[in-house]
This record gives sequence, C-alpha cells and structure tokens, in this order.
Amino acid sequence: MSEVVIQKAPAPAPTARPATRPVRRRRWSRYSSRTFYLFVSPWVLGFLLLTVVPLGYAFAMSLTNFDGSSSLWRWVGFSNYQELLHDSDAWASLLRTVLYTAIVVPLSVAVALGLAVLLNRRLRAVGLLRTVFFLPSVVPVVATAIMWKLIFNRDSGLLNAILERVGIDAVTWLVDPTAFYALIILTLWGLGAGMVIMLAALQGVPVELEEAALVDGASRWRIFWNVTVPMISPVIFFQVVTGVIMSFQVLVQPLLLAETNSIGAVSTVPPSTHLYMVQVYQEYFANQRFGYGSAMLWVFFLIILIITLLVQRSSRFWVYYEVDRDQSD
Amino acid sequence: MPDDRAPVLYSRRSFLAGSALLAGGAAAAPLLSACDASSGGSGTSGGKTTLSVMYASNELTKEHIADFEGRNPDIKIQLIEPGNDDAKLNAMLAAGNPPDLVRGAAVGSANNNARGLATSLDPYLDKSTVLKKEDLLAVNDNWRWDGHQVGAGPYYGITKDWSQDATLWYNVALFEQAKVAPLSTTEPVTYDKLLEIARKLTVKKDGKTVVYGVGIEWQWGLYGPLCSMILSQGGSLYSADLTRTDLTTPEALRALRWLVDLAQSGAAPSSLNPLPDQADLSTFMAKRMAITQDGYWYGGNFFEAAEDMKASIRMAPAPMMGDKRVSPCYAGIGAWIPAKAKNKDAAWKLMEYFMAGPPAEERAKSGWGLPALKSLLPQMPQELPYQQEAYKTAQAELDYNVPLPVSPYVTVGNWISALNTYVDQAARKKITVEVAGQKITEDINKLLKQGKDRIG
Repeated sequence: MSEVVIQKAPAPAPTARPATRPVRRRRWSRYSSRTFYLFVSPWVLGFLLLTVVPLGYAFAMSLTNFDGSSSLWRWVGFSNYQELLHDSDAWASLLRTVLYTAIVVPLSVAVALGLAVLLNRRLRAVGLLRTVFFLPSVVPVVATAIMWKLIFNRDSGLLNAILERVGIDAVTWLVDPTAFYALIILTLWGLGAGMVIMLAALQGVPVELEEAALVDGASRWRIFWNVTVPMISPVIFFQVVTGVIMSFQVLVQPLLLAETNSIGAVSTVPPSTHLYMVQVYQEYFANQRFGYGSAMLWVFFLIILIITLLVQRSSRFWVYYEVDRDQSD
Repeated sequence: MPDDRAPVLYSRRSFLAGSALLAGGAAAAPLLSACDASSGGSGTSGGKTTLSVMYASNELTKEHIADFEGRNPDIKIQLIEPGNDDAKLNAMLAAGNPPDLVRGAAVGSANNNARGLATSLDPYLDKSTVLKKEDLLAVNDNWRWDGHQVGAGPYYGITKDWSQDATLWYNVALFEQAKVAPLSTTEPVTYDKLLEIARKLTVKKDGKTVVYGVGIEWQWGLYGPLCSMILSQGGSLYSADLTRTDLTTPEALRALRWLVDLAQSGAAPSSLNPLPDQADLSTFMAKRMAITQDGYWYGGNFFEAAEDMKASIRMAPAPMMGDKRVSPCYAGIGAWIPAKAKNKDAAWKLMEYFMAGPPAEERAKSGWGLPALKSLLPQMPQELPYQQEAYKTAQAELDYNVPLPVSPYVTVGNWISALNTYVDQAARKKITVEVAGQKITEDINKLLKQGKDRIG
C-alpha cells in the first residue's frame, strides 16, 4: 500500500487586519445568503400564499357574520368565538374527535409496525404480500368508503352474510352504536402506507446490533423492544405526529359512510361519527355560517397546534436519535 | 459563521418582508380581478360571448349545448358541474364572478332572492315571445319574492320541470304477494293507513329486510314530508312575518310522531337503517320496496324497465294527514340568473331555449317530471298503460298543489339538518317527540333570528 503524502499548504504570513474587510470574504458571504434565500423562497412564498394568507383571511372572516355568498355581512367582533365557548354540539364533536384520534393513532401505528415486522422476514412471496397490504392505501378514499359502505350494509352487505353463516343475526353497522367502529375499520384499512414507512425503517436497523444482543443472550422480544424499537423511534414519532394531525382533520370518511348525499343531509352522519370537521362543514355549508365556521377552524387550529407541541415535547422521553442533536449543530 | 460581521445583501427580515409583499400582491391580484366585471370564465371576446353555466350535464346535455350554439353562433357555453355542495357557487358568488346561469330549486329560492343574489326576470318575461307569465304554472310562483312573501313580486327563476312530490308509486305485484288491497289511483290514503299498509307489506328475515313496505326518500330530507303533513291538517310552519317557527303545535307533533313511528316500524329505510346508495330507486326497481313517495318524475325511471315491472306500476295521490287534500312540490328544479352575472341577455336566451324550447318538449314527453309551462302539459307521455294512469293522477293532483312554506331567513338545508338530528334521536327513544319538536323549534328559531339579522 503506497503511502499517501499530504502536503500542507504554506500558512499565510500573518498580516495586520486591513482597514476594510477582504473583498473575497464579503463576496462569499453575499453569495451564501443569497443562494440560501433563493432556494428557500419557493417554500416561503408557498407558505405565505397558501397558508398565512388563507389563515389571515379565515381569521378576518371569523370576525364577521358572512354567509358565504352575499354582500350582506358585518363585523361581529369576537362574538363567534364567544358563541363557540357555549356551543355544546361543537365541544361534543371535539371530544368525539379526540376519542377517535386516541383509538386510531395507536392502533394504526401498532398494526403498521406489526405488519412491517412480519413482512420484514424472509418469507416466500414476501414482495407479493407487501404489495397486497400496501394496495388498499393507494385506492382513493371515496372508492374505499363506498366499498365498505356496501360491505357494512345490513340487508345486502358481505359482513352480515358472513355473520349469518355462523348464526349471528344481521347488524346495522352504519348507524349507532356501531357506526364508530365502522369508521375505525375504514380508517385502518389504509394503513399500508404507514406499513411501508415502518418497513423502510426496520430495514435501516443495523443487523450487528441485533446480533450483538442475541449473542448477549437477549430474547427475540427483548431485542425488538430494546434495540429495534428505539432505533426506529424517530419514524414512529413521525407516524404519530402526522397520524394525530390527520385523524383530527377527518371529514370525508364520516360523510361518505353516512346516508348523506346533500348538504342539508350532513346531519344524517350518525352522532358517534359526527366529528369536529363534520360539525364545521355543517356550519359552513348547511347553515351558511362561514364566519362561525371560520372561528371553529381557528380554535381547532390552535388545539391541534398545542397537541402537536405536546407530542413533540414528549418525544424527548421516548425517541432515540443516533446523532446527538446538540453535538450535530 | 462570518455572516454576523458581513454586510449581507438580503437580511432575513428584508427577505421575509419582500416575500410577504410578493405573496400579498399575488393574493390580492385575483381578489382585485374579481372586482373586474370583464374577468373570469364568462365574457366576450372576438364578438363571441362565453356563457358560463352551472348546470348538471345529464340535464343540459352536450346535444342541447351543441344545438343551442348552432342556433346562436355568437354564444359559446362553458358548462360547470354544480357538484354536491354549494362550495363552488359560494366561491364564485363571493368573488363577484358568478356563473351566468345557475341550476337551483324554486322551493327555498327566497333565501337567495332576499339576499339580492338573483336577477329579476320580469323585464325579460315581459318582452319574451317564448316564455310568458300567463303560461307559467303555479310551481314557478315559488321563485317569486316581493320583499315580504313568497309567491308575490317578480320572478327570480324558472322551473324546468317539477312534481307533486308527495304522490306515491307502488308495485301491485308486491301488494298481491302480501294479500293487501292496492291503493286507489284517485282517492288519497291517510298517513296512518299508509303506515299500517306498509307494515303489512314489509317482509323481514333473519334480521334483514327483504321487502320494505314504503320509502319516503328519508335520506333526501324530511322537510317536504313534514310540511305536507302539517299543511294537510290545516297547520302552518311559520309566523306571518316568517321570522318564527313552532313545531310544538298539535299538527307538527302529529307529523313528527308519524315519522318516528315509521322509522321505528322498520317498514321504511330511515336513519335507523339507511340504504347503501342514498336513494330508494334501486330497492324499488329490485322489487324490494312496495311503495315509494317520489312524485310524478319518478315515472321516467320505468320507461326502460322490464315489462312485468311496467305492468305492475301505479301512481297514487298524495296521502292526507288531516281533512285538507294537498299535493305540494318539494323542489321544482330550474335555473336563475345571478345578480352579478355578466351576460344576462345571453343567459336569458339559454333560459328560453332550455325552459320552452326543444329540451323542454323533450322532457315533457319523457315523463321525467311535469313541465313547468301550461302549454307543454298535453305533451306528457300517455302511450303505456302506467303512463296513462299516472297522467290522470297527476292532472287530478294539480288542483291540490300548494306552495311549501318557506322563509327567506333559513334554508331548506337548515330544516333538513335539524329534522334529521332530532327525529333520529326520537326514533332511538333518546328524547320524546315533544322534546324533538321543542329542540327543532329552538334551533330553527335561532337560525331565523340570525338570518333576519343578516338580511334585515
């Protein structure tokens, strides 16, 4: 092996600090910041145009009694927010949304992880199995909801036909109290995307770590819990955060599972699946209360923001990063 | 980093400020352009008017559009599908850039009319040689608003077709199967009797419903049926000034109780057992529903049905709950021209063509609803036996046509929401019918107050 000789560049002779800044250094600085801002500008512009401006517009609307179409509106100050404080329907729908999120997010993360672990093994036709489990997540939500609606139908649905075979009477799935479970099943049906992300994370876990633990006498479960899970915890964290936000914002699925086919009939969404966004939709389009609906959305935005920050805060106790963030800065 | 010492050309602050300015400018541009009457989808260019029309493409078809454009070479139609909700229309109205012609229902149009969203069609009707006021059937009165009441003042829209929506269609074969005497095609049945018959016609097996006795299109909303029942008892829905409602009256409570009884009986699809496809049609056509409350327009569905189905179909008058025979229209779909439409004259040309021209004649002959013009009534189909009977029943029902009560301060959608919520709770025995009536009254009165406050 030939020796590589590294020649040190001659050190510049120490000179006195010039009165003016070196031209070369200044150019570099300008070039750096300009490039940085040039590259981030598409995002910043998009953020301002598509997020900040609509947010501001919605906030302004929340201070009015705007009906969505006519010019007959006036400023009402914070009365929409005051009304929201005493709106039992809105708070009840918010509680249902929290319950839905509390069930769906852990379930979807756990099931996606479980499936990923199973499909991370050397199985025959593992590629086919991965495709089969991933496939539902690429089917549009409308098609999925209609499919499940037909499956859940009391009189002609597949589910009741199966139950009938085993001697169980038909269940009216799409009304309360079972509508909530139907919604959860529909939601979990699309967890293939989460499974793929988990699978990618699992495949990034160094085999040496698991082998070392095995040599040390750790059981399979112990290896999974103490080695694998910490290694993929950033991905789990990502799934939890996005899952919480998406679950809070669920709207289409309850509408499609209900007998709704018109704006006025949005109230046919069963009470157990009448989530917060359904209530907002009802205020906007059935009740023509764009101002009040906007106030509801602003409050909801703040609630989601706070919950996301809490989840973010909690991550320091259970998310493991291979790179120490303090040192990496 | 040396940046803190270097005089940077673009500071964070100046960059963000600049970005905000750009974003604000970009956001303001479309808003400002919305104020410009010449912008948007509709307009005139090169001597050709582009007419922006929000209508369902299965009603205003490609063939209609091509025919109209052939007759009016200076007009080009840009069709916009309305969609399931009003989001698209709301956005266009709010931007001051509405379509030139919009699909809508006559019943409930007072809400738009009172908010100044629609154009008065009286100047056009006065001049038209095609659409004349004296030729308009009473259903068009639902488009009228004089600032105080529906049915008086200028017309703000024209109905394309309509139905006596409380009338019934039934399948004689299912009556024979259940050994139940068929309904009269001339004399109305009472709602109580209808429920009794529906119970007898219903067939259940293993917890499933094989045949429903009746369907009232529950999923389309209970406002029409409720009003029909109240009117039939001589009751009213609103105070004289249309700013208050009361569903705790004996008439309203009786109607609500009937709806609750129907849901609890399981003789009809309801919120307790919704249909998978949001309409009674497929169930009725599959011979799994004996009676459906749908109105004359429903007859269009049977034109291509199997021969045995055609032979079994009958139409019966609207049921009665009290002593008064009524047969209202629940919708009366047609079109209106927004107040801020840019091509009103061209829109009127299309209105004339669509409401009184070849498409109107085509519709009248098809059986898809009653024509909204007196002159087109003789063109209704009478070739097949079921069509001949339905024609007679529908003609007889014309004498009992009454307008559905409407206030400009709430929408039909508001009513449907409130009714769905509380009738469902009563059907589940969570609240009594009396409490449901009280709750609906409170909710609607609150909305009426807000609407009155907004409209003035």
